Amino acid sequence: MSMFASTDEFNPAQSHSSVPDEVETIVGPSVVVEGDFASDGNILVKGTVSGNVKTGRLLTVESGAKILANVKAGEAVISGEVKGNMRIDNRLELTQTARVAGDIFCDTLVIAAGALLQGKVTMQGLDIENSKNGKKLGTKRFKSVLGGEETVEETGS
Amino acid sequence: MYVYLYDNFLKHRRYESVIKAIETRLTEYGIAGKIIRLQHYSSAEMLIEDEIRKGVKTIVIVGNDTTIGHVLSRSASFDAAFGFLPVGPQNEIAQVLGIPVGVEACDVLAKRRKLRLDVGWFNNRYFVSQLHIPPSNISIIYDESFKVSSKSGNMELVVCNLKPFVWSGKNTEYIVHPQDGKLEAFLRPVYESKILRRHQFEIPSIFPFEEMVVSSKTPFPVETDCKVSKEIKVTIKLAKNRISMIVGKERKF
Repeated sequence: MSMFASTDEFNPAQSHSSVPDEVETIVGPSVVVEGDFASDGNILVKGTVSGNVKTGRLLTVESGAKILANVKAGEAVISGEVKGNMRIDNRLELTQTARVAGDIFCDTLVIAAGALLQGKVTMQGLDIENSKNGKKLGTKRFKSVLGGEETVEETGS
Repeated sequence: MYVYLYDNFLKHRRYESVIKAIETRLTEYGIAGKIIRLQHYSSAEMLIEDEIRKGVKTIVIVGNDTTIGHVLSRSASFDAAFGFLPVGPQNEIAQVLGIPVGVEACDVLAKRRKLRLDVGWFNNRYFVSQLHIPPSNISIIYDESFKVSSKSGNMELVVCNLKPFVWSGKNTEYIVHPQDGKLEAFLRPVYESKILRRHQFEIPSIFPFEEMVVSSKTPFPVETDCKVSKEIKVTIKLAKNRISMIVGKERKF
């Protein structure tokens, strides 16, 4: 069911090139959200959110926007600031203006040149054997794009 | 059995021909019924209650957005099917319901495509079109989980049920059609333009919700379906599947 209907009508998604689907929740530039914030649809943050953010779909944090808590989303495009851990089911993109301080767990990570990241990155798909106790650690496949160049590493288990 | 509630403005001569054409079409379909003209002081709630007691199953509202808002906000809890024949200007709700303005609306009514619609509920009464709080120093708690406020203090709040949200920005007029199943809250913080020294609206923040509490230290006005009241605390909820409404195929939900 479409919220934004017909061609001559407003679609905020069109104003942001990296938002492929329609946006259902928008936090405006001078709006402050305090508390745990969950949505079934896409979330576009232009302001400040001081609390956990959860969505099964796309989270977009625009340049100048802030999230000061943990994030859980299906996909995320970060151009603003996130101070907290991020758990993204599929693809996480950090653009050149992104500032992230926290651990990241995701399936695919895209980092543009200029993005700042401080924290541990964990990805699914790559298994690393610990030589001392023989335990499998980490993930099997590592895929990332650094400054426009894509690198893919694979390690056998 | 059908009962038709005519708005008071329809007695104007300019609507004579449309009303006559509608009545002819309804007779052709065999769904003509009792006509009640709503006056300024008539209580739609009492009229409908009385007709339902007499065995009426379908109440048809004839008029515009104001008429449908006025009638349904007082009678959403009644066990009857509601139809709508939009006539004249200010008919945005009809567009959402997929009902054409004028005689063609009779075709939709005759087909009796019924849907149960959600309505908004606020401080013990319903609203079908919109709830509007003009710029005020308010804070909002959504679904008992998060609080929304503005850095500038004052915000305008529009909660849409059936009536689309329209605002102007950058020389363009934007229209957002609400979806069924949720209420949409459109928040616009107010800021002062440095050049024009005039209050201007920021682009709206949009939050779909099922329950919200709006509060303020000072009383703020609340406008719903053409009725204004002053409140300090307002609880707005979604009453799911409250109204049985006859809708058109071209509806927007």
